[in-house]
Amino acid sequence: MALLRRALAAVGIATVVAAVLRLRGTGGTPPQAGGWRELSGPDLR
Amino acid sequence: MGATVLVCGAGAVGARTARHLIADESIEAVFVADVNRKRRTAVVAALGPRAVPVDEPDPTSADLVVIATPAGRQVDLARQAVAAGRHVVSVADSVHTVQRLVDLDAEARERDVVVAVGAGFSPGLSCLLARHAAADLDTIDEIHVSKHGTGGPACARQHHAALRGTGLDWRDHAWRRRSPGSGRELSFFPDPIGGADCYRASLADGLLLVPAFPGVERVTARLAATRRDRFTASLPMLRRPHAEGRIGGLRVEVRGRRGRAQDTIVLGAVDRPAVAAGTVAGQTARWIVGGQIAFRGAGGLAALVEPLPFLRDLSRSGVRAAVFEGT
Repeated sequence: MALLRRALAAVGIATVVAAVLRLRGTGGTPPQAGGWRELSGPDLR
Repeated sequence: MGATVLVCGAGAVGARTARHLIADESIEAVFVADVNRKRRTAVVAALGPRAVPVDEPDPTSADLVVIATPAGRQVDLARQAVAAGRHVVSVADSVHTVQRLVDLDAEARERDVVVAVGAGFSPGLSCLLARHAAADLDTIDEIHVSKHGTGGPACARQHHAALRGTGLDWRDHAWRRRSPGSGRELSFFPDPIGGADCYRASLADGLLLVPAFPGVERVTARLAATRRDRFTASLPMLRRPHAEGRIGGLRVEVRGRRGRAQDTIVLGAVDRPAVAAGTVAGQTARWIVGGQIAFRGAGGLAALVEPLPFLRDLSRSGVRAAVFEGT
């Protein structure tokens, strides 16, 4: 019984941790340098 | 005598498409059909005398049919139009509909007509940006598309459904099914959107990009979503979709080789998705009736058009692309 309780508690904690990571984390790093430039004039010739 | 165009659907995208077409003096008449008569009447009244309301869309009544209806009616209308030997421009964005429209390829070739599939924001402008980026590379290895934002109510419903649908990744020359909401990636869109977490979803871009880039190894498409979007994706929409979405964005990353060196080109765009989709669909229609598209069959814009002059025309209409320069 105790083993079952521990297993359920472990699964519960893992679920909570996974949910927090899934919802709060981000999936990458921002660009380090540079930026966006509109295509115009010579770019479209 | 100029060409005539039938626009099916007078919603956020259809109305913009009709407006784009009516601005072209070489288009003799634009027939507008919509199940919502009140909306159709309002759109026709705003477009002027060359816009004609029709109760039932008859594909034989025009030279080209633009289909901007919700996904359910698109395939039947396209089939009727192709059977009648009429060109078709569809703004479909659901995987199922896009696949069925692409399946019209053989019949479209046989009847010498064009079926422009997914000629909207994404797919549509996304395919065009991929083709334009690819022009600077010798070989294309990977294409990754991210989309942010929605257009009208039908687009918002499709966005909601896409977040619970299976994603399709093209990897090592085969389709891989991916769980919806997986594969989180922080994508940076042109300003003012900036960074947004994007996830795998049921998106049709890959279905049109893979045949247009033979030999490509990886193609993925992701959708920007908020925590609430993801939490509620499996539920019916909790709120009625807005009439018009806010500003949206596209980011298309193409990786390949230039000579012996590996290179990555990132293009993007920001606009209200319905406005951009209507402009892209309208311009595609104008190019087809103007004889500027030699392609026959069914395919996406990456297979249909020459990207540079098309982007130039789009830029004149206010839809502008951007390039990311940096690391």
